[in-house]
Amino acid sequence: MENLSWTGATGPFLVPVITIAAVVLAVAVAGRILVSLAAWATGTAAQTASGPVLMARPRGLGRTLDLVAQVAIGLILLAILLIALAGFILPVQSKGIIGWATLRFWPVWAALIVTFTLSIRFKRRLGLYGKLMDSPVGMVGLGIVLFWVFTAIFASAIITQDPLGQLSGMKNVMPGSVVKNPTEGAFAWYLFGGDHLARDVFSRMVMGAQRVLQIAPAATVFAFMVGVTLGLPAGYFGGKLDTLLSFLANLVLAFPVILLFYLLVTPEMVQTGIPMYFAAVLFLFPVIFFAVLFNSRFKTNPPRRNLYVGVTLLLGLWAYTGLAFNADPIRYLIGRPIFSMDPNMLNVFVSVVFVNSPGVFRIVRGLVMDIKARDYVAAGQTRGESPWYIMLWEILPNARGPLIVDFCLRIGYTTILLGTLGFFGLGVSPESPDWGSTINAGRKLLSMFPHPAVVPAVALMSLVLGLNLLADGLREESLKD
Amino acid sequence: MPASASDTPWEPSQPILEIEHLSISFFTRLREIPAVMDFSCTVMAGEAMGLVGESGCGKSTVALAVMRELGKTGRIVAGSMKFKGRDLARMSDEELRHIRGSEIAMIYQEPMASLNPAMKVGAQLAEVPMLHSGMSKADAWALARQIVADVRLPDPDRIINSYPHQLSGGQQQRIVIAMALMAKPALLILDEPTTALDVTVEAGIVDLVKDLGEKYGTSMLFISHNLGLVMDVCDRICVMYSGEAVETGNVEQVFDEMRHPYTQALFRSIPLPGADKNARPLISIPGNFPLPHERPPGCNFGPRCDYFQQGRCDAAEVPMFPVPDSDRHETRCFRWNEIDWTAPPAAREVKEKAQVGRVVLKMEDLRKYYSVSGGTFGGGTKKVVKANETLSFEAREGETLAIVGESGCGKSTFAKVLMGLETATSGSIMLFDENVQSTPIQKRNTDTVSQVQMVFQNPFDTLNPSMTVGRQIIRALEIFNFGTSDAERHQRMLELLDLVKLPRAFADRMPRQLSGGQKQRVGIARAFAGGAKVVVADEPVSALDVSVQAAVTDLLMDIQRENKTTLLFISHDLSIVRYLSDRVMVMYLGHVVEMGTTDQVFAPPYHPYTEALLSAVPIADTRVERKRIVLEGDIPSAMNPPPGCPFQTRCRWKSQVPGNLCEVEVPPVQMLEGGHQIKCHLSSEVLATMEPVIKIAAE
Repeated sequence: MENLSWTGATGPFLVPVITIAAVVLAVAVAGRILVSLAAWATGTAAQTASGPVLMARPRGLGRTLDLVAQVAIGLILLAILLIALAGFILPVQSKGIIGWATLRFWPVWAALIVTFTLSIRFKRRLGLYGKLMDSPVGMVGLGIVLFWVFTAIFASAIITQDPLGQLSGMKNVMPGSVVKNPTEGAFAWYLFGGDHLARDVFSRMVMGAQRVLQIAPAATVFAFMVGVTLGLPAGYFGGKLDTLLSFLANLVLAFPVILLFYLLVTPEMVQTGIPMYFAAVLFLFPVIFFAVLFNSRFKTNPPRRNLYVGVTLLLGLWAYTGLAFNADPIRYLIGRPIFSMDPNMLNVFVSVVFVNSPGVFRIVRGLVMDIKARDYVAAGQTRGESPWYIMLWEILPNARGPLIVDFCLRIGYTTILLGTLGFFGLGVSPESPDWGSTINAGRKLLSMFPHPAVVPAVALMSLVLGLNLLADGLREESLKD
Repeated sequence: MPASASDTPWEPSQPILEIEHLSISFFTRLREIPAVMDFSCTVMAGEAMGLVGESGCGKSTVALAVMRELGKTGRIVAGSMKFKGRDLARMSDEELRHIRGSEIAMIYQEPMASLNPAMKVGAQLAEVPMLHSGMSKADAWALARQIVADVRLPDPDRIINSYPHQLSGGQQQRIVIAMALMAKPALLILDEPTTALDVTVEAGIVDLVKDLGEKYGTSMLFISHNLGLVMDVCDRICVMYSGEAVETGNVEQVFDEMRHPYTQALFRSIPLPGADKNARPLISIPGNFPLPHERPPGCNFGPRCDYFQQGRCDAAEVPMFPVPDSDRHETRCFRWNEIDWTAPPAAREVKEKAQVGRVVLKMEDLRKYYSVSGGTFGGGTKKVVKANETLSFEAREGETLAIVGESGCGKSTFAKVLMGLETATSGSIMLFDENVQSTPIQKRNTDTVSQVQMVFQNPFDTLNPSMTVGRQIIRALEIFNFGTSDAERHQRMLELLDLVKLPRAFADRMPRQLSGGQKQRVGIARAFAGGAKVVVADEPVSALDVSVQAAVTDLLMDIQRENKTTLLFISHDLSIVRYLSDRVMVMYLGHVVEMGTTDQVFAPPYHPYTEALLSAVPIADTRVERKRIVLEGDIPSAMNPPPGCPFQTRCRWKSQVPGNLCEVEVPPVQMLEGGHQIKCHLSSEVLATMEPVIKIAAE
């Protein structure tokens, strides 16, 4: 067995194609800029001389250069695609690293194809999500986000090695290195190389996606629940309540985040039980939010109100006891809890929610102050709606545009925040493959062996980029009818 | 700008703008929506062409097409638009950039949205000639100053050095007009230029536009839904319906000898002097405006037309027929020469006058002051805004009390106090013998709340944009405890939609898919959902189309008769007030300046403000002679009202009062015969000399 090259057997043909196309592209772009400048200069000169002169501009050359640049970009993309697809076709020995990686991700590709086919097929019936299929930016963003979501889901089928396993002789090896003394039937290479403890970087990155996507979206949802539940009354009622809540939010925002994390996650602090009290307060908000939501909406129909609020309280408080106090009552019946959270994870979760909610609070408060001056809010008031109905059903839905965008962005920040936490080794076990810890571990040998740090960094960046693009697409489409 | 060699030379005797068989479609994700079909019109040099029609008829689309501003989805599918002999539809962006702003200028409805808030007015104005004709900065500023003076703005030196937010709405619109005139365009497109303004301000702008048109010889394309305004401004008119021009001709001919059933129906649906809600009610046009992709075959107006003939009107597309012996008068009707156009309308439904019952609402000496702090940190001197001053009146069951006044007169504050959204500073409000003056809405019980409801002014704000129309009406039914089941409420919601003449399919629509008028009707349906006894209608029809106005006022009247609703109708449109109200209360800067029955208020003696207001309202009737009284200046700010009589700064009768009484003392309320109240210093002798503002010429 030999070490893999990046491109495998296709390399000798396609790499020169990419190189030549890139050179052509650079020349064409530079030429195009010059042509436009020339056209602009002559165009203005002609204008001042004798009115609008349109035909004198050297349009022909500019268009040719545009075409050349487009063809070059197309060629580069085609070559990369071929290299990737070659992973599916070529025999084991001739696949490159890119080909292998593409092949290993096959469940993700399949899931993406199914999702997008169905979404585009039924986009008219899918509301805002369906409209996203009309926005190229949104589709790219969604594609990247879904890529990582599916990677997290199918992680165990994608990984090539045990993410925690250390194989001898694989310390800091370069990407594509062949495993020394492989066990029978195991994957024979470290696709993206090995880290300083001789673990497979590729597999750790894949498992890292799972870690990150378990915490970030859920923590963001909780932060939104807290921020919305407090921001609505602060913006709507104003006055002393607003002053108090805004002051508290500013206090949290003004406190150095990293220091706060250190405080919340250090074992001494954990022993005092403070994170659990935080959890007890913060986890209550979603229950309050949904109970008030249904209560205000169905107040006129008591049987239905009782049903919805009852179910909310039952499920909510059940999950609440399980998650916040690790005291799921089911445990006493069937021996194991349905809702529970690892104490380490709880700490991280609580800190992330605590740090994020003031930001959400401020956004919601500002939006409410803007929207509450509208006539439909006055119409609600004049027919005697309760303040909470107006806040939750008249104002909140109309603030959704900025909130959805902020939600997507905030998942990205949370991901980065988790990375920061991991980077400082807070709240996660040292073995954990999450991206932050991995980057920190790779940092020490960055100048000599960049790959252990670069791979999770690129993963982190692409996920956050995907979320931002998705946010853009959603914002654009939610404004259209 | 010199014409390039490829263009046909243009002579002033030829039309400035010649639109031929223009068709425009918007392409949405689902389908092609034809917005304008086979539209032709010709504007000669110096001519003012009025484009009239209901919202959604395509009049603004035509204007935007002339500017070639149809957006990404709009496309010209057929026809040509020749501007000075050159086809606008085939021009490149470069050529268009030269024409826009310099040869064709456009004035939009919302003045603040047309001005850059970060630039001084003078700089914005000077930009136009600097850009289009390379004028030097100093010359451009000098020209700007001159044009500002031309649009009759006081103190042009101060104005050109101020920012848009420092000017009032009327002044801003004058600046927009000035900007349009900076390049001395050959064609001026005005898209509802006065809709956002108060009537007295509108009258000034209309006068200005007319004079400027004469002074500069500018051709105009004047888009409006207001027939009276079009009569005031335009020489020719083109009536549009559902994407087609249905009748075109000069204003007198179209107004007096209309040859299209839609034009006729339109005139029968507007409240002209002489209309009466009981004896001669308006005739609203039956049916609904067809959706653009659901237009009927043949004549678009067919399904709503009294003269419809099956097999003929719905057989083929109707071409334009020229009316002989006329000034380019054309109509799009197969039967135009068969119909007896002078016949009176078939059996008007004469309605019984509603019985006016007991007093349901009584206000006494109501005052509402707001205190505004001067300094940034709450320090400084506190200013008091007197939004309402000594408001006293009674409203009876089944009565329509109109509250007339322009923006800033305190009518909205009054509505808020009545609704319980604010509490009064002093005075009392008795509602069904219950003092609600200091009861905020949260403390009122459901019955009281559902009995006092409000119809809001701004149709674009009145509905929650993220809830379906049906859901919003159902919510009102729910909160007022109507019905026992969802099915029952759903049924009632559909009936309410029928009541306000909206298709039932609208129940599942989102508000953004509705036009302004349709939204307003949903707002009315929602207000009446709880069987309201007192309805405050805050300019409910001011944003609606004329035929819709008739239908909506009819609807309001019908519901009023049925439920004995007391209607507090806040409006500045005196035509509609005269038509539907029993009593009128005129407000100015928080004061009630005149109050009496409709006849008393609309006949002399007037309060000077009422007189000006009456003369400012355009009336679409060629027989009516109107005295033009254009008020100088703007309404003073309520923060800083003038001393003495609030109206003294704009009053033309001030010289008739001895001494400077008007500037010193708030006038007392004079009680004239029949309970007619006027708050003015003018002696009864002077008041008696006043002449009626509106005279109907003998036929």
